[in-house]
Amino acid sequence: MNTDQLLIVISISAYIMSTLALFTYFLSREKLPKQIGIPFAFIGCAVQFFELVYRYQTSHIWPLTNLYGSLSLFAAMSVAIFIGFSLKYDLWFIGGFVQAFAAGFLAYALTWNEGYLPAVPALQSYWIKIHVPLVVSSYAAFMVAMVMSMLYLIKYYGERSLERDAMRPMNIRAAAAGSGGTGMAMAAYAAPVTSQRMIGGDLPVLASAAAAGNPLAMWLSTLPSLAKLDIMTYRIVSVGLPLLTVGIITGAWWAKEAWGAYWQWDPKETAALVSWTVYAMYMHLHTRNSWRGVRSAWMSVLGFVTIIFCYLGVNIWVSGLHSYKM
Amino acid sequence: MAMTGTAPPAPSIVDGVRAGLRELLGQLSNFWFGMSLLGVWGFLTLIGVVVDQGKDETFYLTNYAPALARLVLRLHLDNIYHSPAYLGIVGFILACMTLATFWRVIPTRLPPLRGVKIEAIPLNASMTVRGDEASVRARVEAFFAARGWQVRKRELGGIEWTFADKHNWARRGVLVAHVGFVIIAIGTTLYWAFGYSGQTAVLAGSTVKIAENGTVFRLDRFRYRIDPIRTKSGIVYQPIDYVSDVHVTDHAGKTHVDQIRVNQPLDIDGVSYYQASYGFGVHFTVSKDGKPLANSPAGSIKEGEGFAVGQSTRSLQYAKFIGTIGPGNTVGPDPRPNNPGVMLNVFDGSQNIGSVLVPLDRGIDIGNGYRVDAGRYTLYSGIQYRHDPGIPFVGVGAFVLLAGLCISFYFLPARLYVRVDGDAKSWQIGLAATTVKGYDIYEEQFAALVRDFERDDAAPPARPLQPAGSLA
Ligand code: HEM
Repeated sequence: MNTDQLLIVISISAYIMSTLALFTYFLSREKLPKQIGIPFAFIGCAVQFFELVYRYQTSHIWPLTNLYGSLSLFAAMSVAIFIGFSLKYDLWFIGGFVQAFAAGFLAYALTWNEGYLPAVPALQSYWIKIHVPLVVSSYAAFMVAMVMSMLYLIKYYGERSLERDAMRPMNIRAAAAGSGGTGMAMAAYAAPVTSQRMIGGDLPVLASAAAAGNPLAMWLSTLPSLAKLDIMTYRIVSVGLPLLTVGIITGAWWAKEAWGAYWQWDPKETAALVSWTVYAMYMHLHTRNSWRGVRSAWMSVLGFVTIIFCYLGVNIWVSGLHSYKM
Repeated sequence: MAMTGTAPPAPSIVDGVRAGLRELLGQLSNFWFGMSLLGVWGFLTLIGVVVDQGKDETFYLTNYAPALARLVLRLHLDNIYHSPAYLGIVGFILACMTLATFWRVIPTRLPPLRGVKIEAIPLNASMTVRGDEASVRARVEAFFAARGWQVRKRELGGIEWTFADKHNWARRGVLVAHVGFVIIAIGTTLYWAFGYSGQTAVLAGSTVKIAENGTVFRLDRFRYRIDPIRTKSGIVYQPIDYVSDVHVTDHAGKTHVDQIRVNQPLDIDGVSYYQASYGFGVHFTVSKDGKPLANSPAGSIKEGEGFAVGQSTRSLQYAKFIGTIGPGNTVGPDPRPNNPGVMLNVFDGSQNIGSVLVPLDRGIDIGNGYRVDAGRYTLYSGIQYRHDPGIPFVGVGAFVLLAGLCISFYFLPARLYVRVDGDAKSWQIGLAATTVKGYDIYEEQFAALVRDFERDDAAPPARPLQPAGSLA
């Protein structure tokens, strides 16, 4: 095993350890697995960056000219962005998911590892050192935002199911009590609707079900409030969207230098524009009260689907059209 | 019966038109309307990714299911980005965006200073504080001013209100972002109106003239480098460099010698020339029964071009240059000319009936007494050119757009409404906060602000200075 391979093995192993530990923390909320998971996340990320630098140092070939290098940076950046946000906002509870994605993407990247290949003429430009890291970092931010939105959706639908459960026995009892009970049933049904949250996020049924010992409610209430999850998603997208914007601008600039036109409606450019539009819409919709929350969460998930299409779909399935060869 | 003077005047046509116009503007600047337009734009754009663009009719008819091919051709989805529908929707989006910015967003984003019902705002707090009115007001003002809030006071309906704003300027971030988008659109329109672009190929040793501006290129030499690289899956031949050495004569007759390389375009009088591609031009001779035919192609032809075979229904297309013909007349992997040849597609009418590999400097019989000889190759350089007067606009617009995004996302404009009332003994402070992005986003900061205020207010007044020497 050479040094390069050793570094990759170390970082994948660190990610797997971190995934297991932080996932245990996510489920149990015990401190110990968190304390184990965090250092492994740091180690995996640092070693991965070191591996990319090492590749560059030993080959003098910029490592981001192929899908291996790009996916590898994607994995490392998603962990770095996750760590950055977690240090500021204590988001370690999503770490299991982020680390699992990072390990998965890094492992997938290895299937594209052809060794050291010098860049084709179109890629021999300083722009590659600016454009690719920016775009890949934006994808990484959107991945972390997607994980956050998935958690939002888990909690949201969990609360909704608790609400349905809370209503069911009262409805049955009320129906059994005859005509006088109908009003009660209506009242019970109406209660959660009228007690719509204004601020703070969660439905009141969560606290009452948790107090009554419902294990799902107890676990869900250890997660941050829906409002906080929504805001965190927004904050992460606020990092991703400007990065994608600068990424598209620098890409256009480079295209102008290399291909003669800053925009040629190449599938990659177009797919990036579609993703950009989806996230611009997310940002717009997030300014609306009625769209903040579950709809924005779905929007962020949809956004990441478009990112995956733009990143891997276009490279792999629509291959040849954006092959970087002249 | 005569009308009395007190009856309401009948609405005039002008009023009616005005009301109708207001309604129309309201609809066009409606948020959801704008978002739906963006959705339609995204959808049309996506069609352009999925459906191959700019191909000829036969491409769609041969590669797509017949119904789909007809749909693509009938709806002009083959060139969607230049279709009237696409351009129309972009124009419409810009119009609606501009309207929304000035008609709705700016007026609501810059709310006037007015009294509010503090308790009705979800982020609110009330505190009882000590001291007389003047000192309470002074403390409130000093507290917020010290934390970077812009404090303004107004007497409204007999109550003195204090308004504190943070990042008030950032309320214009929306305007900046939208203006950036409009500037980009202006730049692209300038290209549509005044720009041009095209592609040309020039064989080594010959010249071409760019039709649009009369510039003449002479390709003195074309150089390329392709290296064999060992990878895990075997040897790959990677292009490393290619460059055209040219003599350029501009429309004023001035000639200079230059180079065009990938990523290093040549700029002459606002027109950029790019190294786009290269290839091997080959000279073909068609003969029948040993006699060269008069309609053999004149000079070298390039990959993709074709020629007729005498008076027959057959024609040949020079499909691809083959660098190395391997043993058994197979195509070798090395694209560099070692034992070169050409791959020819043979057509009968418009039907492709197969392909043949013809070694260079040798010929091949193609039936009925016809023979094709492929002669020596000459390198050619593919040059792309573009004149785009909109580029400075697009560049500036992109940065304005980015600035708008950063302002909108990283600076949260918040307004505090502070009402002080009470009597000589105790004073109540009512505090409420609003932001342009709802209340949830500000919940923690607001709680911290209230905490800080209470703590500061409860703290004893600043201690008098210690006598000198006591600091030791
Ligand atoms: C695609 C180009 C567009 C960009 C880059 C853009 C950008 C922005 C930004 C950054 C904001 C502020 C969001 C925030 O505070 O978080 C905003 C708000 C807004 N935009 Fe756009 N916008 C675009 C298109 C449009 C269009 C086509 C409309 C048409 C009606 C529109 C209408 C609005 C409105 C009404 C708001 C204010 C939302 C609110 O305050 O509730 N935008 N836009």
